[in-house]
Amino acid sequence: MIRHGIRHVIRKEFTDVLRDGRFRWCSVLVGALLLVSLGHGWVQARQAQREHAAARATARDHWESQGEKNPHSAAHYGIYAFKPRLALSFVDEGVDPYTGTSVWLEAHRQNDFLLRPAQDATAAQRIGALTAAQVLQHLVPLLIILLTFGALAGERERGTLRQLLATGVGRRDLGMGKALGIAGALALLLVPAAGVGAAAIVVGSPGPAASPLSRAAVLTGVYVAYFAVFLALSMAVSAWARSTRTALVILLGVWVVNGLVAPRVAVDLSKWLHPTPSALEFAHTVEREMASGTEDIARPDRDALAESLMTQYGVDRVEDLPINEVGAYLQESEEFGNRIFDRNYGALWDTFERQGAVHETVAVAAPLLAVRALSMGLAGTDVEQHRHFATAAETYRRDLMRRMNGDLTANSRSGDFSYQAGAELWESTPPLRYDAPTLGWVLTNRLPSLVVLGTWLVVTILAAAARVRRAEVA
Amino acid sequence: MAAHTVFRTVLRNEWRLLMADRPLRIALGLFALLLAYALANGVVWMRFQERTAEVARAGNVERAVAIEEELTAIENGAEPASPFSDPRRPNVLGGARGRHTAVLDPGPLTALAVGQSDLLPYYYDVNIYTNESSFHQNGEVESPLNLMVGRFDLAFLVVYLLPLLVLALSFNVLSEEHEQGTLALTLSQPVSARGVVAARLAFRALLVVGMVLAGALAGTMLAGGFGAPGRIVLWCVAVVTYTLFWFVLAAWVNSLRRSSAWNATVLVGAWLVLVVVLPAAINIAAGLLHPLPSRVEMITVQREASNEAVNRRSELLARYLEDHPEMAEGVVADEPGLGALAWAATDAVNRRLEEVTGEHDARRAEQIALVRRYRFLSPALLAQEVLTDAAGTGDARFAAFQTQVRDFAEHWRQFFVPAILADEQMSASILPNTPRFRLADETSADVTRRAGVPLALLGGLLVFVSAGAAIGLGRVRGAD
Repeated sequence: MIRHGIRHVIRKEFTDVLRDGRFRWCSVLVGALLLVSLGHGWVQARQAQREHAAARATARDHWESQGEKNPHSAAHYGIYAFKPRLALSFVDEGVDPYTGTSVWLEAHRQNDFLLRPAQDATAAQRIGALTAAQVLQHLVPLLIILLTFGALAGERERGTLRQLLATGVGRRDLGMGKALGIAGALALLLVPAAGVGAAAIVVGSPGPAASPLSRAAVLTGVYVAYFAVFLALSMAVSAWARSTRTALVILLGVWVVNGLVAPRVAVDLSKWLHPTPSALEFAHTVEREMASGTEDIARPDRDALAESLMTQYGVDRVEDLPINEVGAYLQESEEFGNRIFDRNYGALWDTFERQGAVHETVAVAAPLLAVRALSMGLAGTDVEQHRHFATAAETYRRDLMRRMNGDLTANSRSGDFSYQAGAELWESTPPLRYDAPTLGWVLTNRLPSLVVLGTWLVVTILAAAARVRRAEVA
Repeated sequence: MAAHTVFRTVLRNEWRLLMADRPLRIALGLFALLLAYALANGVVWMRFQERTAEVARAGNVERAVAIEEELTAIENGAEPASPFSDPRRPNVLGGARGRHTAVLDPGPLTALAVGQSDLLPYYYDVNIYTNESSFHQNGEVESPLNLMVGRFDLAFLVVYLLPLLVLALSFNVLSEEHEQGTLALTLSQPVSARGVVAARLAFRALLVVGMVLAGALAGTMLAGGFGAPGRIVLWCVAVVTYTLFWFVLAAWVNSLRRSSAWNATVLVGAWLVLVVVLPAAINIAAGLLHPLPSRVEMITVQREASNEAVNRRSELLARYLEDHPEMAEGVVADEPGLGALAWAATDAVNRRLEEVTGEHDARRAEQIALVRRYRFLSPALLAQEVLTDAAGTGDARFAAFQTQVRDFAEHWRQFFVPAILADEQMSASILPNTPRFRLADETSADVTRRAGVPLALLGGLLVFVSAGAAIGLGRVRGAD
């Protein structure tokens, strides 16, 4: 049962906030931005999803209708893969504008993802990009600060804190009541927005994802925890600060460090701790290793391969083999290349992930970084899930090459360059099927951020409770 | 009391006050620390790009030397290492093997504003197969997460954080006197509210601007000297105008005679609207009004064009020779070689790609035009534009580089394609004549002309708030 006093405090604070012109203006602004960015994100995600689906179908059509040709020519012709937009990407587009959207799967090489949407934007668009996630991560905390900094400091400044406590309401109840009142007012703004978001997923999901609604539910929980951190922190500072001015300055300082300074410091820190090669160096290394192998990975030896095939089939001349030696050699080269790519691209992606871990560590000083990592993870737009798709595409490429080389090896003879396969072979290769990672996969990946955010929540609530208990009346 | 004496008295008084205010001292100290950090960051990035540019140029020399050695060896009777990379073939010499890397050196003030230089490519490999799709490559290797967040450079510090420091220094410049009850006393002296506020803010502005400019000059010195004085002046003028805008805005708000808390809330709100909300709103409007077709379509078109071209090679060659009689010398129209046929197909695909890119660019230009039309609403957008443009890391310089690379690629094709069409072999003697990329970089005058518009708009905003502040402060009387 809620005690009598606290109920009054909640109701009073709630009404106060709603009557406050500042809150009304700020809420209208934040609410409008939230709805517009959600709507804009949804429209864009739907459009991108449609375009990608169409391009995927056309790419498959090109593959199937490429006519009669040698399977290795078909392998060179290759196929394009397009990254799907996941259902929740309209809430948080994450790193998507900065990763390419499509990749050419061709013989002999693993290509980069190309066509980054951000490259088509101007510098002005780059600094002014605003998604629903950014409204939630930056602007709502600011709103919470503006609502809360005076909660106790203001009462003290006006001398009403002494009176309030004289009515018999406990400090704890007073603090709880004020926090809950403010939370209630915020809920008026945020619950409808969450409803709109959920409706958008149900009505017209912009893309596939494993269990979008359960992802959305966890996402909501993450943001509620984040807002609770700011509410508790603001209450603690308001209870501690000698004046409203001090409370406001400190909280704005926290907001600036959390939202503006820490994220960029994390970038530099991550690059300093885990440097990446320049694009030129990277390309040169791959080129060199492809040409001459490495210490552990030797280039395939064509003569040795031919020897072993002849021994295996008990013939003396390559022409007498019942298979095409070229196909076998191409496949060996493919596997050699794969090892070189795994080595280089694997190392690069590992570096990116280690850099991401630095960002998650800096979250100890700035909860935004933990929330951002979780938000992108749940929306399916973080670096790890881009890698997940890139890996799926590369696995598909390797399977495709194996099929092409296998057909060439089995159905033609060495030295015969006139062999051609047809639609039957192209159609027999399955299209790329991509299953987005499950919620469990995402949460396991983002465990550090979950732990950090949870710690922030516990610490700030304890701090608020301690500060409010010790709040001085004057 | 003469006016300048008052001014001096106020300044001296201000210095004492500032040194006595611990939170302000901490804020200034922190800002200085972040300034040094941002500069160090910018200098490291610029050095990295300079090194990469050097490596790219060295690659050009290495490739040329290797080709010359092989060509000389072949002329002396040796066999080419592989028939597919025989450097005598014009499609090898002008192709991937003999490619020329066109390099854009980092902008002279990259250390002050990273701008778009972390996202856009600053070198392209040019060969005869360079076409519109070649320009859609990724820039420097960088984690997408880091690209998304952006760098902590001086421009970021100036555009985002400096206004907040200015607001912390000036939100109570007049309201504090009022709240402490000293305003009536001050104004009973032969000074106006306008004079007092101007003197107090002038001191603080001098302090802030002095810090940033000293930092910028130190950064320029560390990163390669004062080779571009015009750009440096532009950079400094932009910083001063932007900083003054925020100081004067604070003065205006103070002239409304409300409480310090009210001033603080309104000024933070103004920062939020001008720096965060308006740029976002303009972008969202641009995206909704002029949606950009995705580049994905380009891939489909390229595929279709090349499928089609392969089947119509002879016809395409005939048309190509009609369009380019200057290249037709030596081609026997009746029996064109395989190289000529393949080239005709390549050229047809390129033309189709140019069409699609042209349509896309036109749509993009509409979007950019809308953003440019409404950028005057946000001093942050204007300052950002001038700062990156002056640094040589803005969109315009990268676009100019791309245009010149496009022209260079055309030049490169004109050098090699006639030999492909005529099925001729090339020798070491032509090597000194192969085209070399020379960047005609923008001059200070170009930059000033281009950045002049946003700078003038920023100046206009400053005049606007100054007028508001002057009128408002003129009404302030001590007794109330």
